[in-house]
Amino acid sequence: MLRHARQSVGIRPITTGSPLSRPILAARRDHRPLPASPGRRTIPTRHHSSSSSSSVNPSEVSHFTALASTWWDPHGPSRILHLMNPLRHDFITRCLASSSSSSSSSSRTPPPLRYLDVGCGGGIFAESAARLPTTSSVIAIDPTPSILAVARSHARRDPSLSSKLEYLDATIETLPASDEKYQNFDVVSCFEVVEHVDNPAAFLERCGQRVRPGGWLVLSTIARTWTSWLTTNFVAEDLLGIVPKGTHDWDKYINEDELRAFFGKREGWGVPVVVGVVYVPGLGWKEVKGSEKVGNYFFGVQRVG
Amino acid sequence: MESIARRRAVAYVCRSCSRQGLRLQRQARRAYSGTATRDDIYDVVCVGGGPAGLSLLTALRANPTTSHLRVALVEAQDLSKIRSWKLPPNQFSNRCSSLTPSSVLFLDQIGAWSHLEQDRVQPYHEMQVWDGVSGARIEFDWGPNPNPSTGTTIAYMNENLNLTSGLLKRLEELGGVSVFDSARVEHIGFGEQTDELDLREWPTVHLAGGKQLLARLLVGADGANSPVRSFAGIEAKGWDYGRHGVVATLELEGEGWGGDQMKVAYQRFLPTGPVAMLPLPGNHATLVWSTTPENAALLKSLPAEDFISLVNSAFRLSPTDLDFLHTQSSGQAEEYKWRLEHTPFDRQSVPQTVVGVQTGTVASFPLKLRHADTYIGERVALVGDAAHTIHPLAGQGLNQGQGDVQSLVKTIDYAVSHGQDLGTRMSLEPYLSERYTANHVLLGVCDKLHKLYSVGSGPLVPLRSLGLNLVNSLTPLKSFFMNQAAGNGVKI
Repeated sequence: MLRHARQSVGIRPITTGSPLSRPILAARRDHRPLPASPGRRTIPTRHHSSSSSSSVNPSEVSHFTALASTWWDPHGPSRILHLMNPLRHDFITRCLASSSSSSSSSSRTPPPLRYLDVGCGGGIFAESAARLPTTSSVIAIDPTPSILAVARSHARRDPSLSSKLEYLDATIETLPASDEKYQNFDVVSCFEVVEHVDNPAAFLERCGQRVRPGGWLVLSTIARTWTSWLTTNFVAEDLLGIVPKGTHDWDKYINEDELRAFFGKREGWGVPVVVGVVYVPGLGWKEVKGSEKVGNYFFGVQRVG
Repeated sequence: MESIARRRAVAYVCRSCSRQGLRLQRQARRAYSGTATRDDIYDVVCVGGGPAGLSLLTALRANPTTSHLRVALVEAQDLSKIRSWKLPPNQFSNRCSSLTPSSVLFLDQIGAWSHLEQDRVQPYHEMQVWDGVSGARIEFDWGPNPNPSTGTTIAYMNENLNLTSGLLKRLEELGGVSVFDSARVEHIGFGEQTDELDLREWPTVHLAGGKQLLARLLVGADGANSPVRSFAGIEAKGWDYGRHGVVATLELEGEGWGGDQMKVAYQRFLPTGPVAMLPLPGNHATLVWSTTPENAALLKSLPAEDFISLVNSAFRLSPTDLDFLHTQSSGQAEEYKWRLEHTPFDRQSVPQTVVGVQTGTVASFPLKLRHADTYIGERVALVGDAAHTIHPLAGQGLNQGQGDVQSLVKTIDYAVSHGQDLGTRMSLEPYLSERYTANHVLLGVCDKLHKLYSVGSGPLVPLRSLGLNLVNSLTPLKSFFMNQAAGNGVKI
């Protein structure tokens, strides 16, 4: 894993799990791989060998542990995530509005929604989802205990959250599957998560199982392109420093056409909704048509079966 | 759900009508030995029940996205007196404001405008502004190209009490505001930490008598000496003009040169400051005269006949004659009559002659410019005079406050609909960026105008006259100024 300076280069086994097994070029001083050519591939089932059955990468956990204390500082390293959060709601609103009418009767106000937020981090999205009047409950899970501690302590600052928001130290694999409480969610979200998990295919499969028929799986991530390497790794982390160093591992990025293909091959999923967004310094996040091919994008897909 | 249902049930109750309820609450609180209960927690606590605070709460209650919020109003005065404010049709309060069409549009959108006594509101259609030293003049009217939304109306003269009374009626109709009026804020501090909650960042307003209100967002609509601003540690910088604004309700010889349908606002720049006469219904007008504290003291001391003559002089005689009249402790009426005969002027280009002043309406207040360093803090926002105090020469003070409120409500609406905590600085940032520069420019322009026209002689006088004449002959530039005054111009 070429993420933390304290880890020595080369410990991470170079995997052959993906069909396009790309060599990681000689590690440079910044311990960052140079991008290989960003061709299309299927979603990897494993980014590197690991004995655990979890999708969670331990070094990812330690990276985010280091970020825990500043998670809620609006002018700290997570500012860019805070700024993106309203767009997540706009995107979900758009997905829900495009829902096929199988489940909801048209005229009455829709019933309040149950959310499962996977990889909730400090709770930026989970808190905001719980505050919406259209939400009945949010279950938010993350495998990083120190971040969950931050999330829980921050939620105590808002009296409106305690009745609607519940944090669990869990992964999608360890969340009890038998318990109805953890099943049939209206919205399962994993924002800026798939690029951090080791086995995205299995991860998405398991997230999808928690969506009720008629519900939505929504996620956001970054396309694996030369542009995204330049903007997220080089410019954002190294040059501008607006994203903490070591946050992104470009090699793990997944393209939207790969996600489309992934859900296209599976039974019971509708036509995905995809929106590309671009961060413009000074202006914030903006929706830009076509940018899903080159950078950050939202991806939502309805479970129809 | 239960809390929401209860929230809905809380209707507008003024404090005097709910003493019983309060007594019960007080007893209940004792059981918690001084700590706050869930009932004391509000989404928005607004300190100050003036035009800005009342329209903020009205807008929040009228907006479907924000109407579920728990809101409270803290006000020092007895609001029931303002709510039932009523004057005979031939009497007008001396505190009037010019409401721009965009302020009126906003008040209409929140359902308040129709609650104002409409026959006490006076639209005007023309402005006459001239230089008292050089006589250079500019006339503003919409001419052949009226404003699409408001027709030929430039702005609306209205008593501040008519506005606050109308807003209170609308608030009563909407319900759902916990009103603490005749209330004294003893102290503003922060909440506490318990096992369940951490409210150490939540501002807590302690009222005399022991009531406390915890605020997700504390709004300071509490005027130029805002206690909320002090609590937030936000400084307001600026200066005093060394001038006082003298106000009075005047009676004229008629309804104005254009009759009731074509009312004109007049403003003359004198070296001591601008003097303005703004139309009210019928043969009434309101005076705003910015002048030295000494002159203001003299004006307030004069008998009605002399006061009236000095006001008439202010729009007609030369600055030199005016200076002389101000040195006299009485006898202005005689002096005015004599001097007028020897002063050539166009009768129809100045306001009709003042024939009376309503008893008890001559008053004055010091003029200052203040601008807060910021309008927001963590869980704090400032609106209206708490954020900025402007020179009254352009009649923009109250309108700026309405603009603040409109922007803050939009910001809160966005935060609520996107699940943000509406009190955090991050959520409030759009309000600051939308309003700060716009207000700063307007404060600066009015300040420069004041300074420009405070000069009685020298090279600046012909230059500013040239400027005024030039603006007058350039239609596009004039429409720009008119749109600015109407509050619907280019956002600067």
